[in-house]
Formats: sequence, structure tokens, C-alpha cells
Amino acid sequence: MRNDIELEGIIEDYLQGKLSATEAAAFEELRANDPAIDHKVVTHKVFLEELKQYGAVLSLKQQMDNAHKKIDVASLTEQLRPHPSYIVNLWRNNKSAVAVAASFLLLTIFSIYSIQHNTKQNGSYEVMRREMANIKNNQNRLVRTIISSSKMDKGPVRAAKFGGTGFALTSNGYICTNLHVIKDADSIYVQNSNGSFKASVVHRDPEHDIAILKITDNAFVPLSNLPYKLKKNTTGMGENVYTLGFPKDDAVLGEGYVSSRTGHSGDTTQYQVSIEINPGNSGGPLLDNYGNIIGVITAKENNVDGATFAIKAKYIQQALNAIPEDSLGKKVAFSKKNPMQGLSRTKQIDKIEPYVYMIKVYN
Amino acid sequence: MSNKLSSSVPTDREVVLGILNNSEDALNRLYIGYYPMVLQFILNNNGDEDDAKDVYQEAIIILYNKIKGGDFELSSKLKTYIYSVCRRIWLKKLSQESKKTNNVSEFEDVIAVEVDIEQHEEKDLQFEKMGSALLNLGEPCKTIIQDFYINNLSMQDICEKFGYTNTDNAKTQKYKCLQRLKKLFFQS
Repeated sequence: MRNDIELEGIIEDYLQGKLSATEAAAFEELRANDPAIDHKVVTHKVFLEELKQYGAVLSLKQQMDNAHKKIDVASLTEQLRPHPSYIVNLWRNNKSAVAVAASFLLLTIFSIYSIQHNTKQNGSYEVMRREMANIKNNQNRLVRTIISSSKMDKGPVRAAKFGGTGFALTSNGYICTNLHVIKDADSIYVQNSNGSFKASVVHRDPEHDIAILKITDNAFVPLSNLPYKLKKNTTGMGENVYTLGFPKDDAVLGEGYVSSRTGHSGDTTQYQVSIEINPGNSGGPLLDNYGNIIGVITAKENNVDGATFAIKAKYIQQALNAIPEDSLGKKVAFSKKNPMQGLSRTKQIDKIEPYVYMIKVYN
Repeated sequence: MSNKLSSSVPTDREVVLGILNNSEDALNRLYIGYYPMVLQFILNNNGDEDDAKDVYQEAIIILYNKIKGGDFELSSKLKTYIYSVCRRIWLKKLSQESKKTNNVSEFEDVIAVEVDIEQHEEKDLQFEKMGSALLNLGEPCKTIIQDFYINNLSMQDICEKFGYTNTDNAKTQKYKCLQRLKKLFFQS
């Protein structure tokens, strides 16, 4: 008995590696020589491992019970238990299927919607102010240098950066053009067959892209009565219209018809007209067959052929109203009767041309 | 909404490292994190919250032993693993109690865990045996054995705790207890 206790003590020390090197060697020799002792060592080892394992699981369970106490089981149970209602269970069990079906439905609706709306205008809006080409600038500069050196007068030597078109609203030098034409301008000159005059901006209407300029040059001689009138009413589709503009240094006629009562993306302040225009046409007057101004050429749709936009004439009038009445002098009026009515297109253009200006912007 | 887990669910890596380092916090977070998932599964398959607790704790023990055993590879998400183990255990219990097992309501993906569960069942058997052997051992033997072999108390501590006059007496007592325990354990 006493020996057995001691033997077990040694075995335990041996298993835990507490024996010294010589003691361990002696014990191993004893173990090798005595199968009974060897058996005891093995069973003891196995049993101790079982005990350790038991202890580990026991403490793990203890820890888990502690964690379990922190969980509000009652409310979770309430939340997660199968719902008495059949519908709710159906929803819970088939949630993913419902989600797939819903996304499919959404996708379908979206596809149909986008197909239907593909017919919508999808080009971008491109304003038609002209950036003077370099080659042309050089030519212009040559010509002007010659002129200025011969006349020895002041005047722009530098080439204009941007160009557009404008037209007279009054006989004393108020000119209508697009706001984007004179954007960032340091100085503005207007030019037609009568000469080149310095002008300044007197009114800006960013909402409708309209600007009103006033010729401030001393050399400017007031014009005679304006040949055209503003047309207040909306012009119908199919009305033949034309415009004069300066996409190059000479006036160019563009001809077409009103193709829609609304402009880009249904903009009701504009018409869509079928006229080929080019950079430099911006700010040009849009006239109907009777010589009435029905709008101002503004922009075109850049990847749709022949979709040009013009601001309706009534917004010109609005802009004009912003300027004090008494400084305007004889201004263009809304009128049904028009002196040019009945004239041929060529005659009309002859009359109009002196009132249309090329706008040159320097900055 | 049904299996919304609390935001403090630890990452799988945190859990594995935590268990390897005996971190109680990691175990707590693991336990609290995935309990709702298992509870939901059991509640929706003919069980109650006590069943959920038993099954879940068993699954955690399996995971724990697997990680501790060192042969653990994260071949799936821990969530999937725990769910699969719980599902397997619960279906087994249901069939043992011959409750109906058709139409299992699933909430997560499932992976094969049969081998792990079989290994666990063997271990669990040993655990039960040891438990009952210790129970039959009676006091003070049970506490002496537990203190010395599980809680790693020294002979000196045990001496003081149980009022033995010297460590030799305590050693003798311990020896007798262990002999009886071995007998009880290997007999049953």
C-alpha cells in the first residue's frame, strides 16, 4: 500500500516531467524491465487525460452558462419563434425567392422604361459661339494691321477670341445676342458692313441666355427704322424660318422650318428649328416669312442632325423691358403688321442685313 | 430581420485565436453572437429555448475541441459550421424522439459535419462516464480529485482545505479516491 502510493507519486511526477534527468532515466529503466509498472504508467496517463478533458469541458460549460445568462432569451424567443400567421411564415421562409422575384420585376420595369424613353433626345446641348480659328486669325490680323497702319487710327489689332451674331433691337444701338457669346468678355466689338463699333453689356438674362449690348462707339451713326418686328405669339410647327449669322466673317443665310414648339428636353422657352448652323451663329435672329423675329438662335443638339434651338421672341421683350424705357429710343415693337410682309426673301435679307452684327469678343 | 445578429459578433479569426489563447471574452462574444441563429432554427423546428441551449452548447464544445485539437482549418465560415453542427445534432435528436423531421426550415447554408459529430459523441460518452463516476465517488473524494487533477491545487492546499494533519495523510486519501474513481470509471 505504502509502496503503491509512492509509485503513483513517482508516476505522476514522471508524467508531469518533474523528475530530474537521472531519476527519469532510472524510472524509464524500471518501466522497461517491469511490464506491470509500464502498464500502470499508461493507464494512469490515459486516465489523467480523461480527467483533464472532463475538467476542460466542465469549465467550458460553466463559461457558456455565464454567457447564456447575459442573453435575453425570452425576448429573442418571442422575436424568433415561428409566427402563428401563415402569411408571415410564408414570407420568412421564402424571403430570398421573393427578393429574387422583386429584383426581376424591378429590372423588367426599368428595362421597359428605358426602352420606351430611348426615343427621347439624348444628345447634348452645344452652344454655337465661335472660337476664331487660328489660321483665320492670322489672316484677319494681316488685314487689320494693314488697315490700321494706313489709317493710323485706334481699333482692335489683336484678333477676337470668340465670335457670335447679334441684331439691333433699337435704332440707337441696342443689340440682342446670347449671353454665352459675350461670356468672360473683356471688350466687345460689333461689326457689319457699316463698320466695327465698341459695345458694352447693359443687361444679362442668364435664365434665357440673352444679353443686351449697347454700342458705345462715337463713330456709330443711329440706324434708320428697324425693318422687322418681334412676334409675340408662338409660331406653329412647319413655319418656314431663316436666320442670318456669322459663322465666317461674312453673313451666312440659314434656312429651315420650325420643327418643334419646345427646345432641348422639352424646354418651353425655346423652339426647335431645322436649320444647319455652325459655331458663330449663336445670337442670330430667327425670322419667319413675313420678316418677324420669332427667336434667337442659341444652340444645337450635337449628335442630332438639324436640331437647332432658338429662344422665343417674348423673352427678348422681357429682357428689353429691364432697360429704362427712355434710353431705348425707337425700339423694335410687337406688331402684326410688318413692312416686309410680301417682300421676297432676297429683298427681306437686303433690308435686314445692316441690322445684323457680328459680335467679336476679346478677353 | 429574422437572423439579425448582434453587432459584436467577432470575426472568425478572432474566435479561433481567442479560443487558442483561452480568452473568455472571445468565447462570450462567440456564444452571444450566434445564439439567436441557433435559437431561431430550433424554435422553427419543433424545439424550445432549452433544446436550443443544449444543442448550441454541444456545438460550441465541438468547435472548441476542434480548434484546441489543432487540426482546425477554416474551410467555411464559423457561422455555417456552427449552424451545420447544430442542425445535424438537432435532426438526430428529433429522429431519436421520433418527432417529425420532414420540412426542416433552413436559415443558413449547410456543410457536412458528420465526422466531427461522431468524434464528439465518443468524447461525450467518456464525459458522461466520468461525470457519473465522480458523482458515485461521493464527497470528499470528488472534490479532492477535482481540486488536485482539474483545478491543479497543490497537496498542501488540499491539506489545509480538508483539515488533514499532514500531506501524507492527504496523499493517501487522494490515492484511495483515485483508485476508486478508476474502478468506477472503467467498470461502467
